[in-house]
Amino acid sequence: MEYVNPEGLRLDGRRFNEMRQIVAEVGVVSKADGSAVFEMGNTKVIAAVYGPREIQNKSQQKKNDHAVVLCEYSMAQFSTGDRRRQKFDRRSTELSLVIRQTMEACILTELMPHSQIDIFLQVLQADGGTRSACINAATLALADAGIPMRDLAVSCSAGYLNSTPLLDLNYVEDSAGGADVTVGILPKLDKVTLLQMDAKLPMETFETVFALASEGCKAIAERIREVLQENTKQLEYRRAA
Amino acid sequence: MTTELVTPGDVIGKATEFKAGKGAYVNDTTIYASLTGTRRIVSPLPESLDQRAVVEVTGHKAHGPIPEPGSVVIARVTKVMARMAAVDILCVGSKAVRENFAGVIRQQDVRATEIDKVDMHQSFRAGDIVRAMVLSLGDARAYYLSTAKNELGVVSAESAEGETMVPISWTEMQCPLSGQTEQRKVAKVGN
Repeated sequence: MEYVNPEGLRLDGRRFNEMRQIVAEVGVVSKADGSAVFEMGNTKVIAAVYGPREIQNKSQQKKNDHAVVLCEYSMAQFSTGDRRRQKFDRRSTELSLVIRQTMEACILTELMPHSQIDIFLQVLQADGGTRSACINAATLALADAGIPMRDLAVSCSAGYLNSTPLLDLNYVEDSAGGADVTVGILPKLDKVTLLQMDAKLPMETFETVFALASEGCKAIAERIREVLQENTKQLEYRRAA
Repeated sequence: MTTELVTPGDVIGKATEFKAGKGAYVNDTTIYASLTGTRRIVSPLPESLDQRAVVEVTGHKAHGPIPEPGSVVIARVTKVMARMAAVDILCVGSKAVRENFAGVIRQQDVRATEIDKVDMHQSFRAGDIVRAMVLSLGDARAYYLSTAKNELGVVSAESAEGETMVPISWTEMQCPLSGQTEQRKVAKVGN
């Protein structure tokens, strides 16, 4: 199948280095300490953060002087084309772990001993790149909750189809069988917190795909910062009024 | 004083010029923001040795107070055992906590003198309101609290009749209805 036509356009009309439209909003779950909705094209994720709060299950506490980060990822039954059956499968367990590790790397856990932070992620619509969308949603929700972080952890994916590196794969491109590289970075500190690839790529190709994904991450970080600043301005405006 | 909006990861100063305050952290020689909010610079006290100004970020989310070693808390006794009393922390300083924090007052931390002769049941009863100081974060289960000071101990207690008792000495409280006295580790309140 042709994923990039001779004019250089992809199936949904994007160019190789174009991302889907990002829509983000914070403070969408009133009961949570922090929450956010993050949309990337047709992928839509809602995140809710509770904490830092007292540890509920004492057995989970391994180190006494750090906060425990817990993460639960689930996909809504209506999120994909054909209705999903079970709520927790191997894939969601793995994703929960990956997202937890990424967020743990950016949260200043040593500031909050004896506490736990819960991150709940629910995929409302899945159209490729849910992993990245979840990390971005979680970052927004954590920032909204006022949890101290080293940097905003952002994530973006990139792939390689028809000998072209492609930024931000959608579901059709993702299921094409090519490589899918998900990158998570701390943009200001220039550090990689997540790197996953589910196929083989030659070294040189990998470098270009990785660079493309990192560029995407930085663009997302800019957008996330704008959203947070806009939200802060709104809050100040309301406080003053 | 200058203000501007920052997000986590933004560079907000050099460690040579500023000290990192709340909502900021130092990596190498650069100070980064760790919260979303407004950046503020607080000039140092004239008498402090470190003459660097403090740069901090104030967020919009107010977190509930958290007991720290050295802080004075108000707690309700939930269970009295032979060697310790279990309490729930209600206030830290003058602020009410948002969630439950469990604490324990161990036998050796009830009073300053004759600590080996303390009888827990002669010091606290379930339901008493106690003022105590946080000794440490304790074990995984509870904070360790101490009442080994004159101004620490039971501040309010109900008698068997269900009436609030009046303190009559540092070890006794009296019920205004029945005139019965009960043993407590009473806190010295006021002057």
